[in-house]
Amino acid sequence: MDGKIIVVTSGKGGVGKTTATASIGAALALEGKKVAVVDMDIGLRNLDVVMGLENRIVFNIVDAVKGRCKLKQAAIKDRRIDNLFLIPASQSDNKNALDPEEMVRFSSMLRRHFDFVFMDCPAGIERGFENSVAAADEALVICTPEVASVRDADRVIGLLYARSITPKLVVNRIVPALVERGDMLSHVDMVDVLSIELIGLVEMDDQVVVSTNTGVPLVMQNTSKAGAAFRRIAMRLNGHVDLPIQVPEASGGLFRKFRSKFGRSR
Amino acid sequence: MIANFFKNFFGKKNESKNVAKQRLKFALIYDHLEVTEDILEALHRDMVEVISKYFEIDQEAFKLDIRRSDELSALVVNTPILSAKRKKKQVQPDPT
Repeated sequence: MDGKIIVVTSGKGGVGKTTATASIGAALALEGKKVAVVDMDIGLRNLDVVMGLENRIVFNIVDAVKGRCKLKQAAIKDRRIDNLFLIPASQSDNKNALDPEEMVRFSSMLRRHFDFVFMDCPAGIERGFENSVAAADEALVICTPEVASVRDADRVIGLLYARSITPKLVVNRIVPALVERGDMLSHVDMVDVLSIELIGLVEMDDQVVVSTNTGVPLVMQNTSKAGAAFRRIAMRLNGHVDLPIQVPEASGGLFRKFRSKFGRSR
Repeated sequence: MIANFFKNFFGKKNESKNVAKQRLKFALIYDHLEVTEDILEALHRDMVEVISKYFEIDQEAFKLDIRRSDELSALVVNTPILSAKRKKKQVQPDPT
């Protein structure tokens, strides 16, 4: 196997990197690919709880990289979704426990065992970021329609370009009604400001909270709009590059429909 | 609600996202122009060297600055010229 390493990053914290990593990884596994999601936030692990696998951790990424265990022992198999594996972060080490060179070596082993490897990058642009991007072939930049998030995304995009990685943009937590009213940056504005290719638009969705509460993957909930958006992102990563990007729309009352007839909605 | 409708219908001016976009654009321009001290120092050294080929300058008073305004940013170089080096021609390779 010659798998792809994809880093999921954002610069700013709390914009949905971990949810995106868990969801896109799960969706690709549901498509039949062998997927590993790796929690790179050493010392502050949380991908495990988001995925509902926190009770099954024995070894972690630092153990695997340092050769204290085999890759197979560190990769926790998700029992609900075939072909989905989690490599958890270490909770006791600090960020300097790993370095980029070790990650490059470790990643070449991951490539042999998986079709897709997602690196859930910690916030910030320090060592954790360096480790996460060290071996990445591709990058997803998660960004919410807020000035702080967009600015940090721009910084990270610059750092990725400097490493010859061309990132793609996921706009997360879109509130269509706010966009329609002109009180939230639209994805068009964001692409315009960041000059980067778009790969998906994810609507703000209460189901995300429910999913993280219960540890049940978002993409297994058919009613979730965000889940559906992440599934489409997964399909695009899986070669369906022509799959059109759906723009979230405010569920319309009569009034809104009337207004949209006058060309006010985007 | 009706008033809001007319407000939205006739003008986009007070859409807060336009303010956000404008602020972002400027912020990013500034961010991209941010140069580290090391780079500025290296540029300073190089410029003094190049200018010294053509002019006798006061190296102590040489000033290098990035100035920013709303519309554009500029690299401003200010140096007192002591004299021009007119007589010196291009450096010829030593014939020996």
